[in-house]
Amino acid sequence: TQHNTRGLPQGRQPENRKHAVIGFLLTLPFPVRPTHTPTSFLVMAVFTQHGSIRRNMASDRAASQATRFDFLVIGGGSGGLAGARRASELGAATAVIESHKLGGTCVNVGCVPKKVMWNAAVHAEYLHDHSDYGFDTGNVRFSWETLKAKRDAYVSHLNRIYRNNLDKAKIQTIQGHARFTNDPEPTVEVDGRKYTAPHILIATGGLPSVLSDAEIPGANLGITSDGFFELETLPKRTVIVGAGYIAVEMAGILSTLGSKTSLIIRQTGVLRNFDSLISANCTKELQNTGIDLWKNSQVKSVCKSEKGLEVTIVTKDPEKKNDEEKTSTIQEVDCLLWAIGRQPNISGLNIGGVDTDERGHIIVDEFQNTSRPGIYAVGDVCGKALLTPVAIAAGRKLAHRLFEGKKDSKLDYSCIPTVVFSHPPIGTVGLTEEEAIKSRGKENVKIYKTSFTPMYHAITSRKSQCIMKLVCVGKEEKVVGLHMQGLGCDEMLQGFSVAIKMGATKADFDKTIAIHPTSSEEFVTMR
Amino acid sequence: MAALCRGRHRWKKTNCLYVPTRNLTGKYDYDLVVIGGGSGGLACSKEAQFGQKVAVLDYVDPTVKGTKWGLGGTCVNVGCIPKKLIHQAALFGTALKDAKKYGWQISEPVCHDWATMMEGVQNHVRSLNWGHRVQLQDKKVKYLNFKGSLVDEHTVKGLTKAGKETILTAKNIVIVTGGRPKYPTNIPGAVEHGITSDDMFWLKKSPGKTLVVGASYVALECAGFLTGIGLDTTVMVRSIALRGFDQQMAGLVTDYMETYGTKFAWKCVPKRVDKLSSGALQVTWTDTQTGGEHQDTYDSVLWAVGRAPETKALGLDKLGVKLNQETGKIVLATDESTSVPNIYALGDIGEGRPELTPTAIKAGKLLARRLAGQSAELMNYDNVPTTVFTPLEYGCVGLSEEEAEKRHGKDNIEVYHAFYKPLEFTVAERDASQCYIKVVCKRFGDQTILGLHFTGPNAGEVMQGFAMGFQCGATYSHLSQTVGIHPTCAEEVVKVNITKHSGLDATVTGC
Repeated sequence: TQHNTRGLPQGRQPENRKHAVIGFLLTLPFPVRPTHTPTSFLVMAVFTQHGSIRRNMASDRAASQATRFDFLVIGGGSGGLAGARRASELGAATAVIESHKLGGTCVNVGCVPKKVMWNAAVHAEYLHDHSDYGFDTGNVRFSWETLKAKRDAYVSHLNRIYRNNLDKAKIQTIQGHARFTNDPEPTVEVDGRKYTAPHILIATGGLPSVLSDAEIPGANLGITSDGFFELETLPKRTVIVGAGYIAVEMAGILSTLGSKTSLIIRQTGVLRNFDSLISANCTKELQNTGIDLWKNSQVKSVCKSEKGLEVTIVTKDPEKKNDEEKTSTIQEVDCLLWAIGRQPNISGLNIGGVDTDERGHIIVDEFQNTSRPGIYAVGDVCGKALLTPVAIAAGRKLAHRLFEGKKDSKLDYSCIPTVVFSHPPIGTVGLTEEEAIKSRGKENVKIYKTSFTPMYHAITSRKSQCIMKLVCVGKEEKVVGLHMQGLGCDEMLQGFSVAIKMGATKADFDKTIAIHPTSSEEFVTMR
Repeated sequence: MAALCRGRHRWKKTNCLYVPTRNLTGKYDYDLVVIGGGSGGLACSKEAQFGQKVAVLDYVDPTVKGTKWGLGGTCVNVGCIPKKLIHQAALFGTALKDAKKYGWQISEPVCHDWATMMEGVQNHVRSLNWGHRVQLQDKKVKYLNFKGSLVDEHTVKGLTKAGKETILTAKNIVIVTGGRPKYPTNIPGAVEHGITSDDMFWLKKSPGKTLVVGASYVALECAGFLTGIGLDTTVMVRSIALRGFDQQMAGLVTDYMETYGTKFAWKCVPKRVDKLSSGALQVTWTDTQTGGEHQDTYDSVLWAVGRAPETKALGLDKLGVKLNQETGKIVLATDESTSVPNIYALGDIGEGRPELTPTAIKAGKLLARRLAGQSAELMNYDNVPTTVFTPLEYGCVGLSEEEAEKRHGKDNIEVYHAFYKPLEFTVAERDASQCYIKVVCKRFGDQTILGLHFTGPNAGEVMQGFAMGFQCGATYSHLSQTVGIHPTCAEEVVKVNITKHSGLDATVTGC
């Protein structure tokens, strides 16, 4: 569920340049829409196949070189597109600059293709259970190639939908890499042409972090989650490095689909910023499902042999001070995947005048304002809650603030629900137990927990548990956190997150009538 | 109850705060005698701790076909539990087709073996029967395999299978005998040759080509899972499907079933059932629209024409317990009391009560606490969510659109809706025309939600949390202010933004 966009150089050329051409043919005059900014100019609109743009016909020479919009969005991913479309609906002349495919991380190398792969893996799990439910499926083989072709076709379909949506909204799409110029008024340059607007939104997203060969010899023999979506065949032997949700999801998918998978983590558990119950349970489930987990381990070097990659790993348990560091090698690896984090996608953007943090994330206030007036940022590039729906909501809220005069329009970043598509999936919203204790004091925190075998597994030989936890605070037992892992948890969370955002208490959970037989009913019958 | 229906390890947790401060009830054998060991009865008797002496009587009259089962009532034995497990099996029928699109090469043909499935289902049901026995023991509730009837307002007569009588006296009596499927006794051959859902879940052999008569949720669920495991299945509908549910949603459910392969004989009524020498059942029916008569043969005929309260053996009339003349159900006050002092009833047998396990459980627990003087809290029967486990699941809470219109006026409600495509349907190339969300709100003011409806995969799991939001009084803006979870089906509920009034296309495009 991460999101980013690719407004910037990645060494890849857009595959489809058809739409990249901006026509300047003066065909018919287009009615000028009201401008929402003090910097209005006498403008003449031109109408192209893909939407309207305005050209500044004023006499100011410097400005006349730049094409002027009301709203300029850098990055055609979830946040940028949502903001652009909403702004356009509200009457703003809008353009989106995108260097790669429309849809950003979510559509191209994130949520969507990831969940397609997860669905395929869920079928693999079902196939184990078929005979218990009476179906004789005999021999079953898996074709990664078939799946990849279908997945790619679906993603292309979505790219086209995004393109159509922009066209329908009369939003100009500018294909290429954006770079801020040094003009006094915020201006960007794409392929030698200048564009400006009183409001410029940076929504360039993020990228998987990579290690250099200097840090780990042979590191660049590995791929990242981006490369995962380019794999043409199912790797026989996979090594994944990382303990975050991307590592967990990739390991789950590859292992379930039949790749022998090792997961290398630096400490003893995965998902360490999740609630400890989830972290411990997910670590256990990974091992239960056959993933070879290397705790307290780090990759030291990677080299290439005739039979594939050799990944050398050092393991040292910090608790056992006297133990020697152990060095081992995993041989014949055909897929080494780094899932060690994500970083903001800002290189080449030349955002000198905009403040960033030490990792390069653009610093914004609660209204998505950057340190430079007229420049805003939403989504992964800000480094906070790297989720598609967050970027979408933030982009839309911003559009309402800028173009509808809704001064208070901003996204509330509290109680954002998230799902990890692990096996089984994880759902979480609000505070972890540890966070609640830290902020409210142990004496004010009450925990409700349950674990059970979902009814689905009542008649299967393969089993997995469902675990659930409610974190409540204060006398009224306000529910501030809900955490779960188990079959169906992905679809369970959304409704509960509405109630928790409304300020639900444990008593509200108790008052709710159960839906039987489901797993989610356990939340309303918990004692 | 839900807890009960899970893994066996759950039993261990229940020996909680039992303090043996039992003060004997003086003139009665028991503080509480519960007649009926189903969801409500078990919940009530197990909750009735607080130093009380409690007995629960349970006895299953075999069906016409001779089917019988153990402790736990309809839900465990012939309802929710086996139904959902077989529904799960049927979903696998679809999953197998989907799996091929997801790159799995599966050799054809794939056959489904009824006996294998039923062995698993019945083993699970038996483990639950056993679990209930153990739980009663843990809670020191006396379990009696007696058929109970009322002698007076403090006395119950128990009859064993062998015909031995036992008299029990109790301060309070709770009747929780539930209901059983009805047979249309006016149709020749119906009883002799037909089965009901009470038999369905204990059939040793596949029912084969089946005619399901009725269009209640029971009928549609049974027809759905039979179709899903590959059986030729027809539903015969007299008037409308899913009466009482939102009719637009009901239409989507049956439309999906039709594309799924279930046949429907709309506006038809069966006339007679004859057994042919081949063993096949020949059904004759009338098409009420054309008046024409039709015939076909089936291996099984399943009557799902409604359920009747199980009151006949209780001797209610002698005591003057007031029944609803039309339904035969017991008339109850808000505290579950009947017209006779000390006698209470709850669950499916109660007039106007939802025929649902969770409401019976909750009502049973609350009644037990009130009878023990521990609480005055009454059961709230509003805001009851439910899910129909048809091939395309349908979950809802609150009012149907029709009911909302009736109560508030068409111009005073706003219906937000969306036709969405589950991501799992895309690669599988499945038609998602019936995947739909409808949020019925008040049109003015804060747009309080009046009803919420969802068809799609995992509807039960999706709906529970929203039911809680609904219970908390959620408005449309509470939904839209909640950040979605991407990519899920449930997120479409918080994303709905097209109103019916607008007339705009409600199809969701893109993320």
